[in-house]
Amino acid sequence: MTAATEVKLTAAEVAGLGSKPDPTAKAWAKVAGATIALRPTPLDRQPSAYVQASWKDRQHGVIPAIEARFATCGGVLHARLSWEAADPRPAITDNNVFPDACALLFPTDGKDAPLETMGSPEKPVTLWHWRAGAEAAFLGTASGLGTVDRTKSNSLAIEADWANGRWTVAFACPVNNAGFAVPNSREVRVAFAAWSGANSERAGLKSHSPAWTTLVIS
Amino acid sequence: MAVPAKPPIRQMAMVFDLNKCLGCQTCTVACKTLWTDTPGMDGMWWNIVNTMPGLGTPRDVFSHGGGYKNGKPVPGRFPSQADFGEAWDFDYEAVLASGSERGEHLQPREAGGTSPKWGPNWDEDLGGGEYPNSYFFYLQQVCANCSKPACLEACPRTAIYRREEDGIILIDEERCHGYRFCAEACPYKRVYFNQKRAIAQKCISCYPRLEAGVAPACVRQCPGRVRHLDFVDNKDGHIYKLVKKWKVALPLRPDFGVEPNVYYVPPMSPLAFNEQGEFDESESRIPIDYLREMFGKGVDAALDTLQVEREKVAAGKKSELMDILIARDWNDLLGPFTGNPATIERPPARTP
Repeated sequence: MTAATEVKLTAAEVAGLGSKPDPTAKAWAKVAGATIALRPTPLDRQPSAYVQASWKDRQHGVIPAIEARFATCGGVLHARLSWEAADPRPAITDNNVFPDACALLFPTDGKDAPLETMGSPEKPVTLWHWRAGAEAAFLGTASGLGTVDRTKSNSLAIEADWANGRWTVAFACPVNNAGFAVPNSREVRVAFAAWSGANSERAGLKSHSPAWTTLVIS
Repeated sequence: MAVPAKPPIRQMAMVFDLNKCLGCQTCTVACKTLWTDTPGMDGMWWNIVNTMPGLGTPRDVFSHGGGYKNGKPVPGRFPSQADFGEAWDFDYEAVLASGSERGEHLQPREAGGTSPKWGPNWDEDLGGGEYPNSYFFYLQQVCANCSKPACLEACPRTAIYRREEDGIILIDEERCHGYRFCAEACPYKRVYFNQKRAIAQKCISCYPRLEAGVAPACVRQCPGRVRHLDFVDNKDGHIYKLVKKWKVALPLRPDFGVEPNVYYVPPMSPLAFNEQGEFDESESRIPIDYLREMFGKGVDAALDTLQVEREKVAAGKKSELMDILIARDWNDLLGPFTGNPATIERPPARTP
């Protein structure tokens, strides 16, 4: 299994965040952010020979880092991701326009799962996925590369804001309906991914955090 | 890693006779009204007929990459909606309800209200060559249900699959996440993108009709009896005879390496005129190099065979090949799919 980084994130109770996501809520100022370094996903792991051939001379995973903040408010887990996107793609406006996106990944059992393969049949992962311009938030599961099964979620809500060359995306979901288990220790693991639409990134072509980060949910 | 498509038990295929197409687009409209009339599908033409030589649909249709070279995937690109041609609207109210007697007429308008500058089969009947040796032919395109389907093998989600009963390739819209690698990889650019639903969509070979024993709409509606349909392995059928026995039906752009299951009887060219305005029996109007590029090296032999068989009939003799191509009995075109669509129980009307 993939080791966790030394960084430990906490989701402490923060009054004022409410139950709905708000990327610009003033209450986020009370939450310390952590900068998570991202790397391109390995090209040789892309589950399509076409994708490998098409991108072998082209850089993907161009978003170098993402800032993450977590909090809880009355049983709702909030997350806020922010990253630089000087040339945003807020919607699909043409055949060859790809939207910006980001995702949070959790071991479905809250404890562990192989991150490099996005889970396995025995150890699946849960993802919270935001795609710019999409009508709904996606809450999904995966048990290996190319196996993401996502559904429009009634429990997960997402709001995004683009300003001053940055995306700020807020997620909110009841802890007891988050798609992953929270152990008694209140420690879960989380990983991050972001897609640059301007660079035509989609599917497995993305920036990701190559190791789990520990998240303590109060 | 996505695995190569498993060969089907039987393969359905089509042959289009380019010597008979009228360019009327009845096939195109038959498809459009049956399948692509819901939101997000406005600009989709799962069936399209283009004048060749021409830029095709989308613009420069065969120059966007995709397919295979020496067995390796060739990177491709997905043309813009403008390259495919935007869906047009018409100001019906101004023309039909104004009561004007000044000869108002319908004018196409794109979404922004502008007059279109490109669209499907935009260069209709322009063709190639110079008068008096100008020439053109019509090229019909649908999904070719390739035996080496680049679309299927490009999809990282295995959202595209091949039916084992007939080799038809379909996109699972529930699994598709709209990544569009399939559209890049198809060298014929027969995959469309539904922007409203963020999924890829393409010709489905009218598989619900086939399952009811009815030929696809484009085949059945063709007034020119251009389209032949059958399973490839039926040795008594038109497809086997045209492709395997007589070898006059050829794949489009075989250099793309995808082994399509739509074949074309190449166009027979009239003789060229020489400078004196007389027929030059050594030259045809359609350059043979162009036909070799389109249909491969087999085109020379195919055209020779067609000429021989045509002359045989002209001399009053019988020709199995010409009988097949003439298709005196319309049902012979349809292989085992001679069912009447009027007998199909239709599903409830879709809600847009």
